[in-house]
Amino acid sequence: MGCKQFEEMISDYIDGALETGEQAVIERHLADCESCRALRDDLLQLVHFSRHLPEHTPSSTVWTAIQTQVKSERRVGLRQRVARWLARLEERNFILSLPQLAAGAVALILVALVVSVVLRREAQQSAETASTPASAAISKNLLSYPDLQQIEERISQLESSVEQRKASWTPDLRQAFERNLAYVNQSLIECRQQISGHPEDKVSEELMLNAYREKVRLLEGFEAF
Amino acid sequence: MASLTTRLIMTVTAEPGYNATDIELARAAALGDAAAFEKLYQQHHRRVYSLCLRMLGNSSQAEDLAQEVFLQVFRKIGSFRGDSAFTTWLHRLTVNQVLMHFRKRGVKLEHTSEEGDFTNVVDTPLQSTRRISLVDRMTLEKAISQLPPGYRTVFVLHDVEGYEHEEVGSILGISIGTSKSQLHKARMRLRELILKKNE
Ligand SMILES: [Zn+2]
Repeated sequence: MGCKQFEEMISDYIDGALETGEQAVIERHLADCESCRALRDDLLQLVHFSRHLPEHTPSSTVWTAIQTQVKSERRVGLRQRVARWLARLEERNFILSLPQLAAGAVALILVALVVSVVLRREAQQSAETASTPASAAISKNLLSYPDLQQIEERISQLESSVEQRKASWTPDLRQAFERNLAYVNQSLIECRQQISGHPEDKVSEELMLNAYREKVRLLEGFEAF
Repeated sequence: MASLTTRLIMTVTAEPGYNATDIELARAAALGDAAAFEKLYQQHHRRVYSLCLRMLGNSSQAEDLAQEVFLQVFRKIGSFRGDSAFTTWLHRLTVNQVLMHFRKRGVKLEHTSEEGDFTNVVDTPLQSTRRISLVDRMTLEKAISQLPPGYRTVFVLHDVEGYEHEEVGSILGISIGTSKSQLHKARMRLRELILKKNE
């Protein structure tokens, strides 16, 4: 074997992809040829180092840009969801049963739950860093959570705005709205009852917060029509 | 109504000490959990960026692509089934983004080279007496970025990322033979670049 042939097979050789016979031929050549040994050693190093290259960190602007884009896509996502859902209602000629609508709303609430857990944690964190000493015995009960007041305010704003728009709605649209509002309100009532009976029921608290947020979303969605 | 999903999600993001797995985070992110998505970013952005950087050889393009990759993650996370490792899924998504970037820019990946393209082994000065290492990492990374895109892609996928030739072939739509020969040429070219640098 000559150096040229050796060179053609060296990559397979160092990757262990040669058959035993070929390997023996290669090794015989290596024993006699210093420059091919050098080549082998260099490539072995190259391959070894390439497998263990350090990771690099992008600048922080990457995450900022991602967050901005994600936020705007989430907003669009909500509008589209409402639109799709209405389109589906139309397709079905408004004969969706209450259980079907209810199932949809339950799914939405579960989705929203995730958001609320995070929101709550973030709000708590900022409250903790912002509030001064006394730390006002962080309420054990979510019902007194300051967010709720904001939500109530937002809801009453939205309700009056939706009320004005209602006049121009078709009967079908109005019916769809009332039905869903009724469902969300029902969820709220149930959650409140559950919590008043079992103040420690964290899950009901979460669900209640989400029913609130879902109500906001519903109103926001219909405010656009 | 206090379903399993609820508990799962609350566990994933709400407990400070709990280290969620990638799959748990991916599921929570698919349901809209912004904190889970951020955690996935924190855990994987270096790897994704490094892969982009090595395949592109340019840091600002690599940042743009890393950004695009995570936006794709955000949009497609619902389609991640969890039957492969999240890193495998993410990795493939990254490679595909880079290839799409090449295609958009008309970058040719097949590099047909003549025999004289790199110095023949017999013409290379003897190196076996070297005591210092041929390769230091900085030089190696620089040299990788100087490879033609076709060589670089195969080299990064096989030697840096550890894909087999079969996988490289199917990712790039080339034969195993082509993958092997591109890899060999890439290695020889790298050696040459590094030796020249060390002269
Ligand atoms: Zn030789």
